[in-house]
Amino acid sequence: MSSTIPAPAAWRAQTERAFSSNIAPIVGALLVVSIALSFMSDVFLTGNNLSNIVTQSAVVGIAAVGATFVIITSGIDLSVGANIALAGFLGAQWAHHSDNGLLGILTILAVALVVGAFNGASVAWLGLAPFIVTLAVMGMARGLTLQFSKGQSVYELPGSLNWLGSADFAGLKVSAIVTILLFLVGHLVLSRTTFGHRVYAVGGNADAARLAGINVKRVVFSTYVIAALCAGIAAIILVGRLDSATPNAANGTELQVIAAVVIGGTSLFGGKGSMIGTLVGVLLIGVINNGLTLLNVSSFWVQFVQGALIFLAVLLDSFNTGRLKRAATS
Amino acid sequence: MLDGIDFTFDAGEITGLVGENGAGKSTLIKILAGAETPSAGSVVLGGEPLPSTTGAVISAGLSVIYQELTDVPDMSLLDNVLLGNLANTRGLIRSKENRRRASAGLQRVGLGHLDLRTPIRELTISQRQLAEIARCLVRDTKVLVLDEPTSALPEKDVETLLAVVRSLRDEGIAILYVTHHLDELFRVADRVVVLRDGKLVGDEAIERWDHTTLVRAMLAKELEQAYPWRARPMGGPVLVARDLEARGVRGTSLHADSGEVVGLVGLAGSGRTELMKAIGGVEPGTSGEIVVDGASMRVGSIAAARAAGVIYVPEDRKQEGLVLDASVRSNVAMGDYGPVSRRGILSGVAMTRRAQHITEKYDVKLGSVHQEIGKLSGGNQQKVIVGRVSEMAPRVVLFDDPTRGVDVGAKSGIYDHVFSLAESGSAVLVCSSDTDEVLAVSDRIYVLAGGRVVGEFLRDEFDREQILHRAAGGSAAENQLA
Repeated sequence: MSSTIPAPAAWRAQTERAFSSNIAPIVGALLVVSIALSFMSDVFLTGNNLSNIVTQSAVVGIAAVGATFVIITSGIDLSVGANIALAGFLGAQWAHHSDNGLLGILTILAVALVVGAFNGASVAWLGLAPFIVTLAVMGMARGLTLQFSKGQSVYELPGSLNWLGSADFAGLKVSAIVTILLFLVGHLVLSRTTFGHRVYAVGGNADAARLAGINVKRVVFSTYVIAALCAGIAAIILVGRLDSATPNAANGTELQVIAAVVIGGTSLFGGKGSMIGTLVGVLLIGVINNGLTLLNVSSFWVQFVQGALIFLAVLLDSFNTGRLKRAATS
Repeated sequence: MLDGIDFTFDAGEITGLVGENGAGKSTLIKILAGAETPSAGSVVLGGEPLPSTTGAVISAGLSVIYQELTDVPDMSLLDNVLLGNLANTRGLIRSKENRRRASAGLQRVGLGHLDLRTPIRELTISQRQLAEIARCLVRDTKVLVLDEPTSALPEKDVETLLAVVRSLRDEGIAILYVTHHLDELFRVADRVVVLRDGKLVGDEAIERWDHTTLVRAMLAKELEQAYPWRARPMGGPVLVARDLEARGVRGTSLHADSGEVVGLVGLAGSGRTELMKAIGGVEPGTSGEIVVDGASMRVGSIAAARAAGVIYVPEDRKQEGLVLDASVRSNVAMGDYGPVSRRGILSGVAMTRRAQHITEKYDVKLGSVHQEIGKLSGGNQQKVIVGRVSEMAPRVVLFDDPTRGVDVGAKSGIYDHVFSLAESGSAVLVCSSDTDEVLAVSDRIYVLAGGRVVGEFLRDEFDREQILHRAAGGSAAENQLA
């Protein structure tokens, strides 16, 4: 039977990454939406606006880098928004009291990592369902944030804490540069390292990965820690951009993050996906948000459109996966 | 994939269907099941054209039993047997009626003694396979297609299954029996149809076939020997296991020497697979002592087993051996990153080169190493696994049913590589649902029953009857204890 199966086209073979996914439809969607918007609004295609899109996508984008790892292992992290709020608030509070930005940054990262380690340990070693664990952690983190803040925001933060979120560098926002760098690092880790390969293997077939000598639990744990580290960096940028920390920050961010990753072609069933796809997914969401704002569409519709996008992405994912499964049994 | 196939099968007749992997058997089955539509020609069932959806085909009275289990592991035996077929009154389930129907179906496959509430994942693979057949029996099936129904069954249950198939024929059901095990055809089939490269190359009553003519029709060439066993020089002991205890393994001791192929023979539930998993460190909670090349190895840890050069190759390659959606080269690299990476950075060039080297050396037929491995035939998938393991220069390799669902031609190719592996100084352990196959390839065998070694035979003392008697006897003693 093998002799009758044609070899993949050369371009396909060349672009094949460890476990590839097809991002052509989503790139097409991004182009179509962008072209449409450039006709509908004079402002859309200006350099200023395009740089705005990237800057405004920074928080979701950075969190999506981490979420891509988690989702490829067929996990999910619903706690990312709550983690951003908790870590961001505690860090800002420390920085405000001590007037030490570096201390604030370290606090943010430490808190985020503790949350991530809790998620990871619960999923990997206690064997709990990721959806439930991170839903519970989301509730706990939001509760803690409200408790610590008594519902009050923190203002007047040291400039060193705000730098990452608000400073400019060579005409670009530092936050945009950091986002792009993190995507690059995430892409290289996923596609060029043995760790990235393990992540795909665990998501593709955890039993096979285990029997091939891969420490599945450690890989799963690591992905939640990576997601939390990204949430921490996103928190630093969010706090810095607003020059304040509010307990309700990043509300609903987890849905935008998951939407971006899934729209970008990463399968919720695990084993397939790419950082490039996630980047395009983040940009698509960013462009749509931006376009709806430029066209003065109600922000309620923005949320509706995001929900509809997730639905379409999951439908596409399920369709692709089903087709692959059938092909595999022939 | 199919080219002008034309044949009929009749009520009250068992038609055997054989052919190498890729001969078109799967395509034919898919067409019969309504999962695929022929580009030309038609299928007629009881005078009516075959419906074009799988559900309608089942209602029309044609059921297919697939090689891979299609049950729902977490549902009870009852729910699985009546899957999609629960008797109900306006949506309310009629429990008593359902229990009666499920029991009746299970009785006919010799599983009448099982509790209907048992979750099906707690049953052995053979019991689950039989339950799957019971599922078809419960439906009002007129035509039954069995695709490799015995590929996972041990000796004892094969005979039970064949008896079930014969009794169904006597009830007037038309049966298409697809298999790689030629001896089964001679035990049940009334007629045998042979496919090769999508063409029908033989259709004769069973009396007109013999083993050689069948194999010749399938392969179109004389198969010298299905299993190319050859004498090998043996070295000192590589693996010594003492008093191993694990789930399904009770105080077992064994050894294997450098260059030796050791077979594990036993009925289902005898602990073959469990023993291999215990040695391979795959089964947590293993106790006892394992010594590899004179050094004691920590038991119950895959990492420790790997470090000692002990590799378990799982029985179910699709569920436990491979990532089917991933490329061949990714599957080759999985878990063995040393040769294709430096300080954690993978080299795509090295991965491709290594995969090409291994697929060439192990005669894997494929388009490109970037191809999804799930699209290769079972035999070729298995060769990739054997290649991946052999290239790690292992000390002990545990092959759990390495030729499951693989055709005759590919089997000999796979064992050829297993023998080369042994010649390079590794100790090899093999078990299979096909006892004759284990006897054909092993230098020495252990007979297992109830998780214990109950006999040991050297190749020149192999006596099939005596070995099976020993395996069955041990099992009977266990039943009395339980």
